[in-house]
Amino acid sequence: MSGSRTRKDILLFWGALLLPLVVFIISLNIGSYPISPRMLVKVILSVFSPSSQPGIPAALKDIVFQIRLPRLLLAVAVGASLAVSGASLQALFKNPLVNEYILGISSGSAFGAAVSLVFLGKGFPPQAAAFVFGIAAVLGVLIISRAAGSHIVALLLTGVIVSAFFSSLLALVEFFASPYALQALFYWLMGNMSLATWKDLAYSVPLMALGVILLVMLRWRMNVLSMSDEEAKAMGVSVRRDKILVIVACTLATASATAVTGIIGWIGLVVPHLVRMTAGVDNRRVLPLSVSLGASFLLAADALTRSLASFEIPLGIFTSLIGIPFFLFLLKKSRRVWL
Amino acid sequence: MAVSLRVERLSFPLGTFLLHIDALKFEAGRLTTIVGPNGAGKTTLLKCLGGLFPVPKGHIFIQDMDIASLKASERARLTSYVPQEHNPTFNYSVLDFVLMGRAAYLSLFSLPSEEDVRLAEEALDFVGLQSYASRPYFELSSGERRLILIARSLAQSADILLLDEPTSFLDPKHETEVLDMARKLAAERGHTVLLTLHNLDMAVKYSDSLVFMKGGGVFASGKPQDVLSDALLESVYDVKMRIVDYEGRKLILR
Repeated sequence: MSGSRTRKDILLFWGALLLPLVVFIISLNIGSYPISPRMLVKVILSVFSPSSQPGIPAALKDIVFQIRLPRLLLAVAVGASLAVSGASLQALFKNPLVNEYILGISSGSAFGAAVSLVFLGKGFPPQAAAFVFGIAAVLGVLIISRAAGSHIVALLLTGVIVSAFFSSLLALVEFFASPYALQALFYWLMGNMSLATWKDLAYSVPLMALGVILLVMLRWRMNVLSMSDEEAKAMGVSVRRDKILVIVACTLATASATAVTGIIGWIGLVVPHLVRMTAGVDNRRVLPLSVSLGASFLLAADALTRSLASFEIPLGIFTSLIGIPFFLFLLKKSRRVWL
Repeated sequence: MAVSLRVERLSFPLGTFLLHIDALKFEAGRLTTIVGPNGAGKTTLLKCLGGLFPVPKGHIFIQDMDIASLKASERARLTSYVPQEHNPTFNYSVLDFVLMGRAAYLSLFSLPSEEDVRLAEEALDFVGLQSYASRPYFELSSGERRLILIARSLAQSADILLLDEPTSFLDPKHETEVLDMARKLAAERGHTVLLTLHNLDMAVKYSDSLVFMKGGGVFASGKPQDVLSDALLESVYDVKMRIVDYEGRKLILR
């Protein structure tokens, strides 16, 4: 882009801004108890001036404000976090196949949740331990890979190793767990947002927002970091410092998202690729668009899990199930490499 | 304003290899070519000069500034290392690619300004590829990629340019094009240009001075006409070579 904005850019910008908003509003209507758009407006108005909208049942207000609104806001934050983290790590690792969990966050978090559910009981929220161990896994990766000068390949390899380590620990904990704890754990592992409360949002969304904002602010620098480390260094970038900053931001966003929702796969792979296919590989566009498309994608996926069947399909399973064929479709349709 | 580059008592180990240079000076605004057999330390030297290896203080100076005491971004404004051809993962447009050369002038969170874009376009212009701005990098030929890499380095606005084997894998036409460009950078824009090359004929033809390296050290250096001899070439390369004069040019036969 030569500074001057083309028509396509302007279209992309507004589309990107409006898409999550539109999906958000549609999603508010959808659920096991469908609410018509007209009713929705009434419910919302009733909060601001109760006298103008008499006869709105309290249960309806609760559905909108205590159940659906926090859930949708969480979907926005988590979708944006996972997608932009995936896009950033792909740039940082110069590898389009890595995802937001490459540094061990998912297996660390899963192990943390398991320990919490099995040993601390159901009364204690598993989110705290999931967050702590998600971070611990990344710290482990960073410390171990330091021995190899934090080289990109060393980071990837230690990510794989640390993930495997936590997966084994998880299996060990599962072996000792009671059936009840196991059930809760499996439910957590499948990823879902059905129990989202304002309280969950209060401590997780600020962390996710911080991570996402940092990454979006680093968008141009990410172009330079996607060159080889040596080139980036030759161009005057403090590669190690920037690398750590990107990893910290991704970890904040992904670990807090994963802690609240469990493991939701494929967002960080499907969304950035879809963006690159349509808008090119310049991270000045890829990262902001990943934020809005990630948010829209998860909102839509969550709305579908609520409306497709009489029961709720776990979100994590659902995103994988639609993510994979969707990805194959894109690959076939484009018939070329878009990177 | 051209700046000179100076090496003093540099000992830099890299695995089992040791780069050892007592004293070496690269003249300001001149084109110097570093030649020597594979494994002589040419690229290592270039990377030390470019600040890509952690050389301790007191060994490499730009004018009288010690590069080891500069921040990465400060150093990159003075000296620019141009790698051999490489294959980036992502298919940036040529202009976006060249624009990355401005990184040393932009803080962590800032975006390139109109001025940065203008400088990138100017750099593209200088290498004669201004019409390529919106082309995808992957569609370029090897020769074009070398020129784009040079353009990116020019966008960096550094006085010293370090070109690592800029002509490897190029056909004669593109080889000439790249070397003409290197020549032009020294002659017209006053850059201090350092190359590594394997083609001795070209090195002799294009360089203001030559540095012969072998086994991690400097074997000989000076102006081509002063330093070149059959005996020197044989002892540097361990191959019999002969220098012949042909219409005022020196050609190397083997």
